[in-house]
Amino acid sequence: MKRINFNTSLLMGVKQTMSIEKFIRNSVAGWMATHGEHSDIVMTTRIRLARNLTDYCFPIASTEEQALAVDKMVANALVEEGEKPSYSYMKMSSLPSLEREVLIEKHLISPQLADPKRHGAVMLSEDETVSVMVNEEDHIRIQCIYPGLQIEEAYKKADEVDDLLEKELPYAFDEQFGYLTSCPSNTGTGMRASVMMHLPALTITKQIDRIIPAISRLGMVVRGIYGEGSKALGNVYQVSNQVTLGKTESEILEDLGNITARLIVHERKAREVLLEKSRLALENRLFRSLGTLVYARLLQTGEAARCLSDVRLGIDLDIIQNVDVSILNELMIFMQPGFLQQYAGTELTQEERDIFRAKLFRERLHIDGIAPTSEKRTDE
Amino acid sequence: MICENCKERPASVIITKGYMGESVERHLCEKCAFQSETIHFNPDQEPLSIQQFLAHWFGGTEPFQSHQQSRTATSSRLECPRCKLTFEKFLDIGKFGCATCYDTFRARLPYVFGKLHSGHTAHTGKIPVSFNESYAIKRKIEEVRTKMQEAVAEERFEEAAALRDEANKLQHQLAHGGEADDVY
Repeated sequence: MKRINFNTSLLMGVKQTMSIEKFIRNSVAGWMATHGEHSDIVMTTRIRLARNLTDYCFPIASTEEQALAVDKMVANALVEEGEKPSYSYMKMSSLPSLEREVLIEKHLISPQLADPKRHGAVMLSEDETVSVMVNEEDHIRIQCIYPGLQIEEAYKKADEVDDLLEKELPYAFDEQFGYLTSCPSNTGTGMRASVMMHLPALTITKQIDRIIPAISRLGMVVRGIYGEGSKALGNVYQVSNQVTLGKTESEILEDLGNITARLIVHERKAREVLLEKSRLALENRLFRSLGTLVYARLLQTGEAARCLSDVRLGIDLDIIQNVDVSILNELMIFMQPGFLQQYAGTELTQEERDIFRAKLFRERLHIDGIAPTSEKRTDE
Repeated sequence: MICENCKERPASVIITKGYMGESVERHLCEKCAFQSETIHFNPDQEPLSIQQFLAHWFGGTEPFQSHQQSRTATSSRLECPRCKLTFEKFLDIGKFGCATCYDTFRARLPYVFGKLHSGHTAHTGKIPVSFNESYAIKRKIEEVRTKMQEAVAEERFEEAAALRDEANKLQHQLAHGGEADDVY
């Protein structure tokens, strides 16, 4: 496999503490671990805080000099403040597009930040749970992702990083409107709290179509994590707060926690009903999906995501044994185009990606009693 | 589509401009659109974008214009002195250009925020520690000045002078990041 060396430009006073290669090549992001409460349904918890510096125009209106100055200030504040500098600094303009894509697929940066013309940069914590984006839509975006349902814990961490930065940087804050952000939908707390949930039973039983509008009436939004709108790829949904003004951080977190708890109850109940009423049909579907992942020669993203969701459900319901959930988490990340090409060490066409994706699944799900013996011979 | 102006970023906004009696469309990115004049959003954008939300709720700028005209006939258009964003354009692009925009459009913002944040118009959450400090100093200055005026009214001039010095010192402290300056 081809090894790639990355050159990252370093800011004055910012020490690179680890290789960027680690962030690119390590398929399992910190948040992809399989622990955390209700981790069979709630995959991750994410907190994002939007902050701006009072003395500079927001990125949409800033000049190149201003953007670079902001970049330098934030980088210095984060690195100098921490007792042990534990953040790696990466400038978007110095990363090849494939590597930027990989960081997006790991949810460590946003697609908007990845645009190399925008003077964006990111600082990543060693365990990949904290990323501080600079010159995204706002000057600073603090993001904290934890595995499972850990709303309080994730906020606590994001809040700590915020306090650390605030000591060094003059934030744009207003008595009436709170933290001032470029988009009025973030004004106030600047906080977006979200949970990523795997809701296959609610999707199979179509209950999700009734739940989504109900949740949106409570000031929360539900959307598919990879696709747009309610059509979620791999039955993975993101629930997040819509309102950022007029509620305290803890009120927002509590609302999100309550809605998540209700969704968990609904999903568990739907799973029970599915098992009770149509066990054979369910088993048939889940094993067929496992078969597809283990034997397919061409796998498109959509099909792979759907089958992964089925296999995950099979594991949760104890219908499918011998498959490790952590492999599924890894595959969820790995099956995306950017990662696949990184893994292949070269750029791939659409069809080549589907071939490579199928090969990857066969290799990774190569489990005794599941994979056929002939497969072993062709691979070796 | 790539922005026609910078030819770098993806175009997300359509600018319509009257030119020699005909309207000409230009496809621009957010950043270039910020610097241009009239803007209409690309209808095939993702649903419920903030721009469309604002445009939908406020029907362009009309409610504000009529509101403004009814109050004062001579009022000119509101423009941020720092980034030059006008209120009309803010409604179009759905983004503020800088912190000063909030001050410039302050009177009209509760209406916008009310629609976006389920009727809420004021922040009740976290306050930065540094802001707390300066907020406390501001409150103290007001307090000292009130006392000073009382002292003047009651002809206690020596005390009033001392209070004036204290207020000036606090003012200086406020302007210099909360640190008392002994040299001054």
